[in-house]
Parts: sequence; structure tokens; C-alpha cells
Amino acid sequence: MEIRTKRYDSALSLLELLSGVVPDKLSVALTILLGAPARVVSADGAWVMGNIPPLSGNVRRLPLAHDLETVGFLETSAPDEAQVRAAAVILELFMRSGARYFMASEMHLEVVKTDYEELQRRHEALIASEARYKALAESLEERVKEQVSTIASAHRQLYQAEKMASVGQLAAGVAHEINNPIGFIRSNLGTASSYVQKFRSVAEQVKSGDTVRIASAWQVADLDFILEDFPSLLQESIDGADRVARIVSDLKGFSNIDQAEEEIVDLNDSIRSACNVAANQINSRADLKLMLGELPPLRCHAGHLSQVFLNLLLNAAHAMNKRGEICIQSGVENNQIVIRISDTGSGISPEVLPHIFDPFFTTREVGSGTGLGLTVSRDILTAHGGTIEVSSELNVGTVFTIQLPIKQGNP
Amino acid sequence: MADLDETARKLTLKLVYYGPAMSGKTTNLMRLHDLLSPDLKGEIMTLETQNDRTLFFDLLPLGFRTPSDWLIKLKLYTVPGQVAHDATRKAVLSRADGLVFVADSQRSQGINNAESFQNLEENVRRVGLDFGTLPLVVQFNKRDLPNVLTEEEIRQRWFAAPWPLVMASALSGMGVRETFVKLLEALYPVLDKNFSLSKVHGTDAQSFINAVIGINAVTGAPLGNSH
Repeated sequence: MEIRTKRYDSALSLLELLSGVVPDKLSVALTILLGAPARVVSADGAWVMGNIPPLSGNVRRLPLAHDLETVGFLETSAPDEAQVRAAAVILELFMRSGARYFMASEMHLEVVKTDYEELQRRHEALIASEARYKALAESLEERVKEQVSTIASAHRQLYQAEKMASVGQLAAGVAHEINNPIGFIRSNLGTASSYVQKFRSVAEQVKSGDTVRIASAWQVADLDFILEDFPSLLQESIDGADRVARIVSDLKGFSNIDQAEEEIVDLNDSIRSACNVAANQINSRADLKLMLGELPPLRCHAGHLSQVFLNLLLNAAHAMNKRGEICIQSGVENNQIVIRISDTGSGISPEVLPHIFDPFFTTREVGSGTGLGLTVSRDILTAHGGTIEVSSELNVGTVFTIQLPIKQGNP
Repeated sequence: MADLDETARKLTLKLVYYGPAMSGKTTNLMRLHDLLSPDLKGEIMTLETQNDRTLFFDLLPLGFRTPSDWLIKLKLYTVPGQVAHDATRKAVLSRADGLVFVADSQRSQGINNAESFQNLEENVRRVGLDFGTLPLVVQFNKRDLPNVLTEEEIRQRWFAAPWPLVMASALSGMGVRETFVKLLEALYPVLDKNFSLSKVHGTDAQSFINAVIGINAVTGAPLGNSH
């Protein structure tokens, strides 16, 4: 069987045009209608309908046209011209009908094929998309983990940044605190060394044993004054050195900020350390009042809680428009450690108040705060099972209340 | 693409009337059948549904013989305008040598025209033809109806387009032949370049157009219909 490669708009042969007709029946019908033998031959003579042999006698040939071209001939020995023409017209109508059928069916095939290809294309696209979703679903858990770890690492970096900012503030204050005693200790030591020089000048006369010269040298060196002044000078220096030592010891509370181990501390000590460390920045703006009640020892990350106290203290100091008061109370209420830090500063407006614990929320100028101080503070307290609450009134002041569950003993 | 048959000495060309549903593509073909009288003219073959909407296509074959005794056949097709028949439109459009876009001048049909034209552009690309070089004439039909865009409005909107614009009323025959002649004018240079119509076949642009529409080149009188 011939494979059809025709298209709906291809040129059609006589055989194709008459393919819907039963050749023998048509031949018989033509013969009866014309009253004489007849046959249909293709234009090139290669195909004869019903394989009828060539006719004998006086044979007419009428062209059979389709699509502007002669595609075949009607051959007959019938004498009546009108009859023969009518037969040719009937054949052409058959051919036309065949062409219509042929074109419609080819077009139909083409359209169905196109539609089918389109469907297959979409089907493949759907399958590909389904596979994508399946793969996505399978890797979803992993990707979520990845994302979580990315976010956690970003978090850690931000908290580190906040800590660095606190440490920076600390460093400025501490430098001032240490510089002061170091300054006068250095000055006292200079004076002391000049006193030693004077002792030496008197000592030389003492060796000579001449009492008059000794007395004169004593006068010149003004040893009476020196003996009076020297002890107080030394005492002042000792006090200064003690101050430096205390500051350094307070700083230690902050130096173990990264320490993962919990330790057992008295939070009042942590509060005092924070006050000492922040003293320089507080003293210039406010009077500090400590009302510390007795607290049970608490198992906690002391460095972290010190950071919280320092944060709140510095915030309170910053809130001062004019010189005011900062008060820290501590005590035990309802079996919880409660610490209140109140100030008489500018207060927080009601619009801002709900946002102060939000990450990156800050009312300070860009660059002067990370906007994480209170966020980190709240996170630290949450990690200790505690809470932090705030109440504030504009131009009156703000109170932060920290509650921590009492937890002690060894792990 | 034009189908060249060296043995039968025959060149078959395919011209397609495209456009939105009910814009008058079949009417154009019917009027052309009445208006043209080339050497050879077939009957219109329509493949329509019972309510006279084109199902697959309409087909009008025209033809003439060149002085070199070649048969040049022009097969004029219409596409079904309804949106659903896109696969059919694509099939009809494939291998086209020239296009007439029949737009509906009624104000209400602006979106249909635009969508159909866009569909034409897409399908031309999909069947592998070059929209930039394919001979195309744009016909604004139904000028006889009320509430149509004015010619000025249309010309303003299509000002930047490179294709000839023809105003027509296919129902009365106005502009139908002019549209077709514009298409033949755009088509001839392509044919002459590819098949040397002028040099080899002794057919220049004017005699090509005259032969297709049926005007005696010498006397200018319409030719008799030989079919």
C-alpha cells in the first residue's frame, strides 16, 4: 500500500479524485446512460478505470478538468454529443466531490496531528513541571534546614555586632575611669621620687654627724612637710590602684560574655558591676540610686545578664534630657527575682512603645545604635526563662521590670 | 512556498485571506470569483458548516498561461476566523506566498482585529514564514456599515505599518479587486526574483496582473471567461 504523503493542498490525480467511486458500477452505469461502451482514462493514459481495454470504432475523447487542469478523458463511442457532455459533467461532479472529501480529510488529519502534538507538548511540559515539584518536595526539608542555618548564622552575626557595639561603648567609659586614677598615681609617684631625692640630701649630712649641718639640711629639705605629706600621697595612690583593680574586676563580668557554662552568682553583684562600668556615662547625666534587696544565688549566664543590665542602664542615661535619677531595685516577689530599673527621663511615646523590642527598631540616629539592644536583652531573658516588661509615660519616665525564675543548685 | 513543477511546466501559488471571524473573507472570494476573468477560473470550493461558517477553508483557483507556455495557478484560500480553529488556520497558512488581512471596520471590532492580527503574526512565525518579507495587504471591510472607524482614524492608526491599506465593502464588491491587485503588485517582485517571470517567461508585472484579473493587455478590455 502506498504511503500517503499528500497534503490537503497537493495536486490530485484522477485516481485520487475517483477513489470514492466503485469503478465497475460507474463503468456499467456510464455504458447504460450513453447506450455505448465508455471508459475513463487518466491524462497520461497510465490509469484506466476498471481496466477496460481500449474501445474500437469511432471513439470520442472529452477532457475531464479539475482544478483548472485536464486530469483525464472520457472515451466513448456514443454518437450523441449532448449525452457525452452530460456524462463528462457528472464525472467532473464526482471528481469535485472526491476532491472535497480528500481535502477535508487531509486537513482534518493535519489539524488532529497539530492538536495532538500540541497536547503532547503540553503533557511533556506538565510532566517536567510535576517532576520539578516532586524533586522540590523531596529536597524541601533539606532546603528548609539550609535556610534555617543561614538565618541562624546571620542572627549570630547580628548579635555579635550588637555585643561589639556595647563593648565599644564600654571601652570608652572604662578608658576614662582607668585614666583618672592612673593619672594621679603617676603624678604622686613623680612627687614621691622628688621626696626621696630630698631624703638623700639630708642623709648625707646625717653621715657627717654634725648636728648643726643636719638641722640646716632638714630645714632646707622641709622634711617636716614631706613626712606629713608622704603617707597621704601613698594612701591616695593605693586607693587609686584599688579603683583600677575594682574596675578591672567589674570588667571581668563582661569578659565572659561568650562563656557557655552557667555559674552561680548574686545578681546584685552583676548590677553593681554594670553600674561601675557605666558610671562615667551615668554620673554626668543622672544620680544613681541602688535599692538592692537580698537575692538568692542564681544559676545563669552571668555575663549575658550583665549585658542586659548595662544595656538598660545606658538606655536610661541616654533618656535624660536634664539631670535626673536612675533607680535600681531588686528583690524577690512571688518566688521570682524581680529587678526594676526606672528613670526620670523623657519617656517613650505610645506609638513607639509596642516596637521597642523589634529587631533593628531604633529612634537614635543612623549609625549610633544597632537597634538590637533591647531585642538581645529580651532574648537573653527568654533564654533564662524570664520576662521583661516596660511601662512608660512621656516626660515622666520609664520603668523596665525584669522577672527571673529562681534556679539554683548544681546541674 | 510556491510549488514549481518543472515536468508539468506549472507554478502553483498560495494566497491566503486571513482575519477575525465574520469579517468577510469568504465574501471577498465570492466577489473575486464574479469580478475576475482570467484565462482559467474554477468554482469556489467551500468547506463550511450548516450555518455558513467556514469550517476548514474556502478555495478559489485562478490561472493563466505565460507566453513561455507555463501554467501559473493561484489558489486563493480563506481561513476559519473563529478563535477555536487555530490549528486549521495554521495549516491553511503554511506555505502561503501572500496574505490579505481582512479587518472589520466596525468600532466594536477593534479588539477582535488586533487579536486576529497578532494571531496571524504568531502563526506566520510558527509555520516558518518571514512576516517581514511576506507580501501582505490589509483590507478594512464593511465600509457600508454605520458606526465604523473613519478612514482617517484607520490610516492614522496604521500610519507606521509598511503594508498597503485598502477600504472595502465586500458585500457590494467595492475595494475587493483593488485589494487583490495590491497583493499581486506586492507578490510579483518576489516571484520575478525567484522564477525569473520577466526574463524566462515573458511576463512583466503589468501583464502578470492583467492576466490574473483578466484584462486584455493590448485593448484594456476585459477578457472573456473561457471556463
